[in-house]
Amino acid sequence: MVYIASWDEFAERSVQLFRADPHSSRYVMKYRHCDGKLVLKVTDNRECLKFKTDQAQDAKKMEKLTNIFFTLMVRGPDADISEASGKEQVEQVASKKGRGRRQ
Amino acid sequence: MVLLQPDPFLNELTSMFERSTEKGSVWVTLKRSSMKCKATRKKMETAGETIEYRCLVRATDGKKTISTSLSARDYQKFQASYATVLKAHMNALKKRERKDKKKTAEPEKKQASSKKKSEPFKKPAPPASKASQ
Repeated sequence: MVYIASWDEFAERSVQLFRADPHSSRYVMKYRHCDGKLVLKVTDNRECLKFKTDQAQDAKKMEKLTNIFFTLMVRGPDADISEASGKEQVEQVASKKGRGRRQ
Repeated sequence: MVLLQPDPFLNELTSMFERSTEKGSVWVTLKRSSMKCKATRKKMETAGETIEYRCLVRATDGKKTISTSLSARDYQKFQASYATVLKAHMNALKKRERKDKKKTAEPEKKQASSKKKSEPFKKPAPPASKASQ
C-alpha cells in the first residue's frame, strides 16, 4: 500500500492510473468521523495509490478530484476534465493580464 | 447489495453518515461500469455496438451496502448533491491549525519586538538628561 505524501502527486498519478486501465480502476474513499480521518485509494488491482489526511482543507481537494473521476468514468478516459479547463482559464486570464501590461 | 436510484441513494448515504458519527466508517467507491456481464459485453463488441458506460457508485458502513448507477445525463446533478452531502457530514477533520497558530504567534512576536525596541530608546534619554544637568 503506497501512501503518497503530496496531494498533487497523488491526484496526477491516480488520473494516469485510471486512464491506463479505465475498466478495472476504481476510486475508494473511506471516512471515519470518530477519528476525524479521510483515506483515498485508487487502484487497478495491480498497483495501489493511497492518500490519508485529517485536514479539512484536503476535503475540498478531494471533492475536486471526485468530480474529475466522475467526469472520466461517465464520459470516458479521454474526456476533457475540469482540471484541464481550469488550467486553460488560468492561462487565458494570464494572457489578458499580459495584454494589459503591453498596452 | 441494494441498487437504488440516485436520489434515494443520497438519502441512504446521508443516514449512513449520521449513524457512523461516533463509531464506524463510511466507504464510497466509484467505478466505471457498463452494468453488463462479460459475455454480453463481448457479444456487443463483436457485433460492433457501442457499449454505454456508466459510473457505479457504491457506499457501505461495513454492514449495509447501497449502490447506484449514473449515466452521462444525470451525473452532474448527482455530483453537486453528493458534494453537498459530504461537506455537511465531513466536519470532524481538523481545520487549519498551523495558520491559526501563526496568527496568534505573530501579534505576540510583534508585541515582544516593539517592547524590546522601546527599552533602548528609554535608556539613552536619562543619561543625556543627567549630562545636560
